[in-house]
Amino acid sequence: MTHRTQDIGFEHSKISMLLSEESGNILLPDFLLNLSSESMRTLGGGFFEPREVTTVEGELEDAVEEEPHLNLANTTIIDEPAPIAKVIGNCTVAAVDVSSVRVGESEQGLLYALRGALVWREGLSYNFTRCGPLAFHLNDLIARSLNRRSRANDNLSYSAWSPLSERLLSRLRNTLERWMQRLACSRLSRGIVLLDGSLTAGTPDNPTVYLEDILNRSRENGNAVIAFSKETKLCFSGKKITRLLDKANYPCMLNIDRIITPQFPSAPVRLMGRVYVAKLTSRGLPFRVDIDRQLSEESAAKAVGRLINSDIVEQGYPETLRLAHILSTFTANEILAIQRHLSIEYGLKLAPRLSFRRSLFGPYGTSTEAS
Amino acid sequence: MKKGLIVQVIDIQFANLPGILEDILRDVMTEDTIQGCDYDPFNISSQIAVLKDTKILICKIRGAIEDGKAKTETSWLPSRTNSRIVPYSIEKLASTRNGKRPVTLGRTRSDHLTVDVKMLDGKLNIITGKKGVGKSHLSKLLILSLIQNGAPCLVIDVNGEYVNIGRTKNDEPTAYADKITVLKPGQSLKFGLSGVGLKTFLNTMIYALDLPRTSSKVFSRIWNELERSGNLKLDSLNDAIRRFSCHESVREAIYSRFNTLMDLELFTDDISERFDFSLFEKKMNEGHAFIINMKDEHAISRRLVVELFISKLTEQLSEMRLKAVFLFAEEAHFYLRETYWEDIITRMRHLGVFTTFITNQPDTVQESVYRQADNIFMFNITNEHDLDAISKVAKIDAESLRSIVKDLPAHNCLIVGDIVRDFPIVVNVKPLDIQTMGQTRHFFQD
Ligand SMILES: Nc1ncnc2c1ncn2[C@@H]1O[C@H](COP(=O)(O)OP(=O)(O)OP(=O)(O)O)[C@@H](O)[C@H]1O
Ligand SMILES: [Mg+2]
Repeated sequence: MTHRTQDIGFEHSKISMLLSEESGNILLPDFLLNLSSESMRTLGGGFFEPREVTTVEGELEDAVEEEPHLNLANTTIIDEPAPIAKVIGNCTVAAVDVSSVRVGESEQGLLYALRGALVWREGLSYNFTRCGPLAFHLNDLIARSLNRRSRANDNLSYSAWSPLSERLLSRLRNTLERWMQRLACSRLSRGIVLLDGSLTAGTPDNPTVYLEDILNRSRENGNAVIAFSKETKLCFSGKKITRLLDKANYPCMLNIDRIITPQFPSAPVRLMGRVYVAKLTSRGLPFRVDIDRQLSEESAAKAVGRLINSDIVEQGYPETLRLAHILSTFTANEILAIQRHLSIEYGLKLAPRLSFRRSLFGPYGTSTEAS
Repeated sequence: MKKGLIVQVIDIQFANLPGILEDILRDVMTEDTIQGCDYDPFNISSQIAVLKDTKILICKIRGAIEDGKAKTETSWLPSRTNSRIVPYSIEKLASTRNGKRPVTLGRTRSDHLTVDVKMLDGKLNIITGKKGVGKSHLSKLLILSLIQNGAPCLVIDVNGEYVNIGRTKNDEPTAYADKITVLKPGQSLKFGLSGVGLKTFLNTMIYALDLPRTSSKVFSRIWNELERSGNLKLDSLNDAIRRFSCHESVREAIYSRFNTLMDLELFTDDISERFDFSLFEKKMNEGHAFIINMKDEHAISRRLVVELFISKLTEQLSEMRLKAVFLFAEEAHFYLRETYWEDIITRMRHLGVFTTFITNQPDTVQESVYRQADNIFMFNITNEHDLDAISKVAKIDAESLRSIVKDLPAHNCLIVGDIVRDFPIVVNVKPLDIQTMGQTRHFFQD
């Protein structure tokens, strides 16, 4: 027991050191920083059409399409969900989330901003480090630079349908997100690392190497990696898979790996986590949860049991991850602030807003369409 | 700048940016529960802070500048894409540069405001605002500036607070001390019956003391008979009323009122005690301020004295013996008969009575005065009812007026009108080195 406490004391300083870290390049890869400045320099004081932000536009976050829709046929027998047993003993919980948002448009490309947040709960207190916003001008320069870096052979067929800019963005975002996740997994030991999304990798914009590295480091440090999907595209007989827990009114999790894995028969796309649907509190919401596949099923269940004892899980979603989300997402005003920064810093001239939609349809064009 | 639109800030608000409340709530809610640090390599967050505190300036168009000249009317609108916003001190516009009779009223946010006293000449003015904000102080400043420039002033001082405007705070006479005379009814201000005249005397009896019509006719006859026989004295008037053959009730009506008037001790048969209206006339023409100290005076005495002076002034002005008079009337509703208001802003103004009404009860000043006022000095007013009253002012829109006046600190006033060349302006009235004696009386001295 004493041994344990000492360990926690040590861990405490290790992740908390992030709060006083002098150099930014621990939090942020130099490469991204340079890419941001370089790409922004290509703007060269041209015209810039800022994204119009109004409260009408509820969801400002531009979600990046990651996974194909999957609809599983109702041929398999589904097990009963297993109750989650609280595991006594607290551990540190860390969570990472990254947000991206479109801030405007230049004559040559789209302008995006990224921000990442790493939140951890130690004892009763929550701490964070956050990096960004970083602005990027999505154009050829970025495309070339990212291609040069890409270690995986591009298999463009997978998401060839998505326009180039979207792919660039998801790569940038993935770069930052994996970096921060790696940081969390290396700084924490015997804790839980919560990620946003799934543990799927193997697309050109989300290569397997990074996730593999993250999971390896995590295992070395005795951490468990658990990913929560806020939204899932997986359906089972026409309904969201999370509905499988509709009837359960106790904290529980259901292993649905058996029915998911056959849908991803081979490389490149790999499910590096075992897929569950889980309800962390009796009256909370159900989520798709991916847990490091190399943890035994028993360890995975224990990790979840430890999570609900170590973090607040009101509504079924871990507070640490919720805070990481809140801290990384951009509000309308932050977008305005970024726009203002861009016009001051890069001498961008605001393009007179002549909305075709407005002139064609007058007040009948909706504001969300204005983008 | 070739051409420009002059707009004035009338209100400052936090900009209501989309979702700003959400942002602030987010900050407040996470503040206590979570702490950490930001690595913001491009320092974009500073812009977020700027944005959260973004203020929006609510402005009104006040005029335009064309060929370097300011005009108060304009029908021109500048381009909204190619125009620039530059600060322009409105006091530059409002000040009367090279005025022959400059007076500095105080400071605006950026500079001194100096106007020409001439802009009070021939004008109707109002000074209003709630209690203790500095109305009388400003009025004193105006009076002093007027006499410095040789103008005649008559001040109706209901609280006896103008009596020492000729003395410094150290109780030494100022340079203009000999141009100021204080009159106290019953003491330095007494009248002979003939000097008052039947009309004023009778009016007081009718309007202030409700003398019935029939009785007033009888009284006129008595007065006229005594006047014809050259015997218009207090005692003989008293006797005549008592002896006059008429109905007992009529006599009683007249006699009781006559006694009331006599009790005021305003009248005397002694010529040496009487107020010398020809000396008054002479001094006024040389530039002088007469202050009638009405403090603790009976309501009827106030009315009578004011009515008497008004009729005397009218007489002197219409006979061209007096050039003009600047009348300062504090809380005029206490002594100014209903029928006189209209007279003051029409007939008497044409004769040369230029009135400044000073009041902390804006609704006691008649609406027509607000409409016709040439200069309005408004100090802080918060009461909605009072704001409604002053909104009748024609020289400024009600919205600007309300929004500015509500937030004025003490000693600051919004001036609209000719004196500021129709550019509404807020000025912090300058202090005066005179004994203002305007402090409200307190029981506790510390
Ligand atoms: N501009 C000023 N600078 C310095 N002191 C001032 C100024 N204006 C007013 N004061 C002082 O503030 C006090 C109140 O001023 P003043 O008597 O003029 O107020 P008021 O509005 O006439 O009040 P009331 O409604 O009671 O007549 C006085 O002591 C006066 O000397
Ligand atoms: Mg006063």
